[in-house]
Amino acid sequence: MSDRLLLATFEQEDDLLAATSEVRRRGHKIVDVYTPYAVHGLDRAMGLKASRLTWVCFICGMIGALGMLWFEHWVGSVTWPIDVGGKPWNSLPSNVPVAFESAVLLAGFGSVFALLAVSRLFPGKQAHPVIERVTDDRFVLVLDEADAQFDVSQVKAMLMPFNLVELEERVVSAGGTH
Amino acid sequence: MTPESLSSPTIYRQLTKLAIVGAFVLAIGALVAPERTWSNLLLVGFYLVTLGLGGALFISLNNVCGASWNICFRRIPEAFSGLLVPTGLALLGVLALRYQQYGWHHHGEGDAGTFWFKELWATPSSWMIRSVAYVVVWILLSRALVAVSRRQDKSGGVGLSILSRRLSAIFLIAYAITFSLASYDWILLLEPMWFSTIWGVYNFAGMVQATLAAMIVLTIFLRKRGPLRNVVTDEHLHDLGKLLLGFSCFWMYIWFSQYMLIWYTNIPEETFYYMARTQGSWGPLMVVNIVLNWVVPFFVLLPRPSKRNETIMVRIAFVVLIGRWVDLYLMIFPSTVGGSPLFGFLEIAGMALLIGVFGRLFFQSFAKAPPVPTGDPLLSESLHYHC
Repeated sequence: MSDRLLLATFEQEDDLLAATSEVRRRGHKIVDVYTPYAVHGLDRAMGLKASRLTWVCFICGMIGALGMLWFEHWVGSVTWPIDVGGKPWNSLPSNVPVAFESAVLLAGFGSVFALLAVSRLFPGKQAHPVIERVTDDRFVLVLDEADAQFDVSQVKAMLMPFNLVELEERVVSAGGTH
Repeated sequence: MTPESLSSPTIYRQLTKLAIVGAFVLAIGALVAPERTWSNLLLVGFYLVTLGLGGALFISLNNVCGASWNICFRRIPEAFSGLLVPTGLALLGVLALRYQQYGWHHHGEGDAGTFWFKELWATPSSWMIRSVAYVVVWILLSRALVAVSRRQDKSGGVGLSILSRRLSAIFLIAYAITFSLASYDWILLLEPMWFSTIWGVYNFAGMVQATLAAMIVLTIFLRKRGPLRNVVTDEHLHDLGKLLLGFSCFWMYIWFSQYMLIWYTNIPEETFYYMARTQGSWGPLMVVNIVLNWVVPFFVLLPRPSKRNETIMVRIAFVVLIGRWVDLYLMIFPSTVGGSPLFGFLEIAGMALLIGVFGRLFFQSFAKAPPVPTGDPLLSESLHYHC
């Protein structure tokens, strides 16, 4: 990514969706799109790949279930066998509820913390919206001017039909996009 | 393709033939093995009635929530609820045919404390009166729901949406009470000395699961070959898949809740139900039940792409529909026929009857109204649904 970004601001989600699709069709690099709320279909318009978070969730859940089943078996029938109601020590049904709960717990925590880690969110992090109104009523499409042939006036002409509100060029330091 | 051409003579004739052949084999079976034939009829009747009831339940739940995603294919569950009149009456006939099958509470048996109530509850007359009452309540309320929806096609307007929401709320309350009691009266009472307070929920879970599976099959069929082409999208399919996945897990949860408490406490008056169902060849069948109803749907439907894939969804729906049959088989047959699990001509005939009657009644009912509820104000929202 270069250090020169182009911020295109829109007022309507439909305009943003159409503009995003068009920009992608022309092969410009989309850095990100900022919206006040989740816009349906934006992931497809941006060409985002399917989230891998589901795999994190599934694997954490499996670790929770299988790990707890193993642990219960180890506790209940290897290291400290206790006779409960005359049941065999390695009784699977008695181990299922806790295994289920720990699967849910690990899947939940795993997904949340994986999401926070990947998005680099942590308590006390300062918010730096690209523009203030993106948290209220503006939709911002951020493009990368990496391409040597990137012509701002041409891009502007392309975006104008989508009721472009504002076009801003911004130079960012290597540290972040803002 | 219009609904008229869908109810084309070929589909009709084949489904009718299937039902007639099934009924014919069962009629012969009634002479040879009356108990087993009756058990098959009870299974098929209960299966069909719960599919019809499930359709009305699906509409009501969505109406009460103010949901819009389901509207574009709402005529499918509406056609399901059309099953209730013929199959409900047929099931009542089956019940009346062999009411003595239900081992009535004989004097001096069971817990002394609650005995008087059980005796009163389980007399053939009060049992039959209740059975008729359940079916009548379901028929009246579901017909009202469908009638309001069809009237909206002509008149449109929000007023009728509000009316069906109110009707739905009434249906849900009536359903919760009557279906729970009906599942006790018609299935659990085959083992009058056994008890399970979670029985109603367990039957509810299986019912919704099977209804969703049948709806998925028909939604995909009508999208590929019929009037719902370009109406039902992958988004709707995805949500149906999510619901099926959820209810498979719910069924497993309830199944296990019932099993584990009885296994843990290990009291003979409760365990005999599972003893009969885990010994001999019944044991593997219990495992098959869990595999079909939970293991397969859970692991296959978990990834997002498989819920948006027609082929996978239809296959899983069929697995669940077979699983529902096995589940009901395990509830009914060890109590009535006993011995070893039997699968022969009579069971196949029962399945043929099930498929034939269901398909025939469904297409007949579906053809009676426009395939999409055009008068519903939320229809366009439903058509543009994105999940």
